[in-house]
Parts: sequence; structure tokens; C-alpha cells
Amino acid sequence: MIRKKSWFPVLYMFCVTAFFSSIVIGFTRFTNERVEANQMLAFEKAVLTVLPGLYEDKLSRMELHRKFTESVDEPDAFSGGAYTLKQGGKIIAYALPISGRGFWAPIRGLIGIKADGRTITGIAFYEQNETPGLGAEIAKDSFRNQFRGKEISDSGKPINIRRPGSILSKSDVHAVTGATQTSNRVENIINTALKKWRTEVTKNTETAE
Amino acid sequence: MNGSRTDSRKLIVEGLWHNNPIFRQVLGICSTLAVTNLVLNTVVMCVALIFTLSLSACTVSILRTLTPRNIRMMVETLIIAFYVIIVDVLLKAYWPEMSGNLGPYVGLIITNCIVMGRCEAYGNSNPPVRALMDGLFNALGYSFVLLIIATFREILGMGTFLGISMPYFGGPRWDKWIIMVMPPGAFFMLGIVTWVFRSIEIRMENKNK
Repeated sequence: MIRKKSWFPVLYMFCVTAFFSSIVIGFTRFTNERVEANQMLAFEKAVLTVLPGLYEDKLSRMELHRKFTESVDEPDAFSGGAYTLKQGGKIIAYALPISGRGFWAPIRGLIGIKADGRTITGIAFYEQNETPGLGAEIAKDSFRNQFRGKEISDSGKPINIRRPGSILSKSDVHAVTGATQTSNRVENIINTALKKWRTEVTKNTETAE
Repeated sequence: MNGSRTDSRKLIVEGLWHNNPIFRQVLGICSTLAVTNLVLNTVVMCVALIFTLSLSACTVSILRTLTPRNIRMMVETLIIAFYVIIVDVLLKAYWPEMSGNLGPYVGLIITNCIVMGRCEAYGNSNPPVRALMDGLFNALGYSFVLLIIATFREILGMGTFLGISMPYFGGPRWDKWIIMVMPPGAFFMLGIVTWVFRSIEIRMENKNK
């Protein structure tokens, strides 16, 4: 009988593996496009939310994508790595990608800045894995809305994330209660990106002039 | 007929109570601690486990007469991984936000001792339908304990239930217990739940004597 042969386990394992793997491979292929589209949409949605006057609730996936391709321009030589929103050929706002280490996993997001290079129009995170209920609050409106209208400070840190309850100046926001680590890291991520962006953009405008 | 009915009754009682995976077998603690800080995350995790556990126990049982004994663990792991990957891919494709929330924990169902334990202890030596039942009720036993823990953690730690603000706990008079949302909170809750359920069990046994 075949089952008594010494090579039977090898053959059996091979067949079982081949069978289950092919189903999984087929299934992943089938959903792959959708998975990739989800990641892209999460990013595009974040870009739209930080730029002024673009994002509306209840946009379908297709509408969201169309809006992104229609109104947002890819980073070019003068934008310092930021996506731009233009009106009549003139930049009216930037969406600067920011990323860095979070408390548990990498945090990736965008920060929107007006053409003046100072006023913040919004912030969004499309990838983060902070503690639910604590650090993950950075992705919620209550934290994000604080940034709108704040101004990047010229001296010291561009943006300060201060302890909850402290008095704020025009470039300060409150940290998330109980998530000091996440707040510190977010502050760091934002400031590193802003400082780098600022030097690049001023360099570019100087050479352009 | 009568015999099979008492059999399934026994399976139900064993899985949900006398042999409960969490407070009797003390298996699958890793995921218990990790995903119970929000009720919604827990519900999805439980559904994923119910799916994986019942189907893999059933599949192991279907193949049990064919599988050579010396490689059965390999085959079991393969089958479990197969179902877990399916769940993971489904979440990534159709519910990306939840997939992000659960992070690596869906993938880690593969190493959840409950699944391997039931496949080894029951699926390996019983017909498919009973293996399916056993897997299902063990998974339900796991789920109800997890949901109890998650309910307490979310209400005490965040003042919400399924994201909806609760009276009193959501208000300013309740100082949110941040520790409940953090991993240590899960340890305390798990300890208390195990203590309560075991005490009830001992009391019931004494009464029956």
C-alpha cells in the first residue's frame, strides 16, 4: 500500500502544500488590486483633507480618486517634496508628506501649509499603529483640528506640542492625554519635515528670483 | 440520535464553560491582552477566530485518516495558516481601517494555541462535523470572555462602548482609567474574570456533590 512507503509523507506534504498554496495565491491575486487601491486611496484621502476646501464627507472611492488626480499636483522642483494645490498656475497650498517612528510602528501622514509657507491648513495620518484610545487619538478630528490656522514659528521649534491644559501661543497645540510618547514623536516628525521643507523652499525661491 | 444529541450538548458545555479556552485552558492569552481595549476590534478578532478555529479543526478532521502521524503538526499548521491568510487578505481588501487597527494580531492567530490545541486534541481523532462543533464552541467560549474583558476595558478606560459615549463614564465626573486601555489593564481584567468564573465553577461543583 502506498501509505506504508517511506516517501509517502513527503509526497503527501507536497500535495497538501501545493493545494492550499494555490488557493491562497489565487485569492491574493484576486484581491491584490483592491488592497493596493486601498493603500493609495488612504494616501490620497489624507492629501485632500489637509489641503483647504477639497475634502467632503461621503465621497465615493472613485470620486475621491478623481478629485485627487484633477486638483492635486505632484511634487515638483519648487515645492520641496510637497504636493501642491494650484489655482491659475499659482500655488495656493502645499501638502507635505511627513513620516517617522511612532511609539509602536512608523507614522506616515501629511501636513497642509498655505502658500505663505507659515499657516497650517490641516494635518492627517494615513498610516499609524499607536495604542488604540491613547496614541491613536492623533488620527481623530479632536487632535487634528487643533492644527488648522496655526502658524509655523520662525525661532525654536516650528510647532510645539504642549502638555494638555497649558496655555497655547499661535504655534502650539495640545498633546494627547496619556500619550506623551506618541505626542513627542509626532512633534519630532512634524518639525523635522517642516525644517527641511522650509530650507528647501527658500533655497528654491532664491535661485528662482 | 439520542446519543449524538447528548454528545453535542457536551461539546457546547465543554467549549463554553467546563473547558473554556481562556479561564480553564488558559490558552490564547497573547491576543486576549492585545486586542481587548476596544469592543469593535475584539468583535472582529473573535469572528476571525471563530472562522479559523472551526474550519481548520474540520479540515484537519477530514484529512485525519490520510495524514501520516509523524507529519501531522506540519499539516495542521499549514491548514491553520491557510485560513488565517484568507481572513487577513479579506480584511485588507474590504476593511482596511480594521486591518490597520488589528495590526499583526490577525496573522498571529496562526500561533494562537487554542487553534493548534483543538486541532490536536479533538480534530485529529473525531469526525468532521463534531470537530467543527468543537472548534465553533471553543471559539465562542473564547469570544464571550474576550468581549466581557473588552467591555470593561473600553467603558472604564475610555468612557465609551463600541465608540458611543456612555452615560456617567463618558462625562466629566468619571476620571478615565488610562491603565485599562494599556496592556497592564488587560492583565488585571483577565485575572479578575478568571477568578470570578472559577469561583462560580467551584461553587457549582460543590452544590452538585
